[in-house]
Amino acid sequence: MPLTDLIQPAINGILLGGLYAAVAVGLSMVFGIMRLVNLAHGDLMILGSYLALVVVGVFGVDPLISALVTAPVMFIVGFAIQKCLLNRSLRNGSETALITALGISIVIQNSLLLIFSPDARSLATEISWQSVKVGDFLHVPLLYLLGFVAGVCMIAGLHGFLKWTYVGKAIRAAADDEEAARMMGVNTGDIFAYAMALGVSIAAVAGILLGMTFTFYPYSGPQYLIIAFGAVIIGGVGSVFGTLLGGLVMGLAQVMGGHLAGPGYQLLMTYGVLLIVLTIRPEGFLGRSVSR
Amino acid sequence: MLSLLFAILATLPAWAPPYWTVLGSLFLVYLAMAQMWNLLAGYCRVISLGQQMFVGLGGYALAVLSVYYGVPVWLCVTVGGVVALAFALAISFWLFRMSGTYLAVATWVVAEILGLCFGNWSFVRYGMGLFIQPAYGVSPDQIYYAALAVGAASVGIVYGLLRSELGLGILAIRDDEEAARSVGVNVFRCQVCCFAIGAFVIGIASGVLHLHLVFIQPYKAFSIDWTVKLLFIVIIGGLGTIEGPIVGALVFVILQQLFSEWPTMGLLLLGLFAVGIMLVAPNGIMGILKERYGFEILSARRR
Repeated sequence: MPLTDLIQPAINGILLGGLYAAVAVGLSMVFGIMRLVNLAHGDLMILGSYLALVVVGVFGVDPLISALVTAPVMFIVGFAIQKCLLNRSLRNGSETALITALGISIVIQNSLLLIFSPDARSLATEISWQSVKVGDFLHVPLLYLLGFVAGVCMIAGLHGFLKWTYVGKAIRAAADDEEAARMMGVNTGDIFAYAMALGVSIAAVAGILLGMTFTFYPYSGPQYLIIAFGAVIIGGVGSVFGTLLGGLVMGLAQVMGGHLAGPGYQLLMTYGVLLIVLTIRPEGFLGRSVSR
Repeated sequence: MLSLLFAILATLPAWAPPYWTVLGSLFLVYLAMAQMWNLLAGYCRVISLGQQMFVGLGGYALAVLSVYYGVPVWLCVTVGGVVALAFALAISFWLFRMSGTYLAVATWVVAEILGLCFGNWSFVRYGMGLFIQPAYGVSPDQIYYAALAVGAASVGIVYGLLRSELGLGILAIRDDEEAARSVGVNVFRCQVCCFAIGAFVIGIASGVLHLHLVFIQPYKAFSIDWTVKLLFIVIIGGLGTIEGPIVGALVFVILQQLFSEWPTMGLLLLGLFAVGIMLVAPNGIMGILKERYGFEILSARRR
């Protein structure tokens, strides 16, 4: 097989990985701070895709513009879920919170199913089919490129936010030591809610871009949750740039797996990589905090 | 009280309408599976999101052996349990190096991988699934009594296990895993043991269930929906009690029948229910009964 045959899927995989990283970064942040895997994270992302679908349908704008509505709305949704539900159940232990998150996930999936039917949906526009020609044989899909750039920008933005703003610093403090942060006068309940809201709105924007790339269903959430979880484990819990790296690995595994073994095996490859990482590091990469 | 319940259940096909017998079978099968999830989550502090792997393995063992090789169905159901048990033991040494959330997600991913493998396997007709023709030879009453055996056995096993020496360790883990470890409880042994027992019982229960369903598809059999249902049953009834899954399974089957025409609505309500219970009464229905009225049956407590 000529090497050039592998370059194309490798580039696609890396570009897709940038978007996966944007999905994963919120999960990573929440995991890093609360030691909670938000099992509803994938569904919240898909909720963002559907919200964009509604905005596009009602106002007739481009899906990319719909992010201006979708991101703030999902920010509020994420904030409310954390403040009203997860914060309360976290007090009863992390298992309680895990199950609450699973309950939220089921509610979102079935609400979407009721409203939008199980049909495949798509946010595809003209740019979904365009590609940039590089050299003689490479065609880089424009949307993958856009998704990668957007993903990396959001992650860099989040990094800056965590580093330089008050809320960002408080989030990092709560991640390092919740007790100590609270004693220093940080309202950790609110901080948790801000972290969740940020993570969810970034995932929702990524959800719009993924919705332009692939079709999605009400039940698509868990699949992205597993991919995001893989990225978090590979990159190290709570590490923003580690998550970027993890996302790239997951994207690469998916596209290369599909290219080498056939489309039926795309996810198999991604899950396989995740299992290998779990085997090497059965405890994950704990002990690192947000954005050091 | 428990013997009364058992007497009612044992004679159910004799006096109740056939519809009740079917409902009874579903209740008992869900009871058996939920009892096993409860043994893991409620007692051993192991949250598995991958119990559907045993549902799929048990169901496929039945389908493949009975359809392709003409093996008698009840033997197939038993073999299904053994296959699930063997698989559980094979992965347990790898699996239980992890803990907490990592383990939860790892079990889920394993189940997803199994589902994908079966979906890409020509031998089992890919995602189209298998039609279990021989199951038509089994009457609803036979299925019911098989379900009763599995359901009653699951309660008996959990009760017996908790009253045994191993159970002492398991109860210690329920109360405090770290403390149990520090006083010399072999946490790993307790957890693997419960995981394996759970696999066996769920494998058999799934065989019985698929005799009723007569059809198996990889994306249904290996779907996380199974574990979600078990989780709701246990949570609604009360985590870490033997009575909890009994109450929970009853509530679940009734709810499922009420909403059988709107399954989406039913699941949605179940989700809301679970979130609500987690917020208001994390110990479930049995937890409330126990706190308020000191009501307890089948206590594994030593007086």
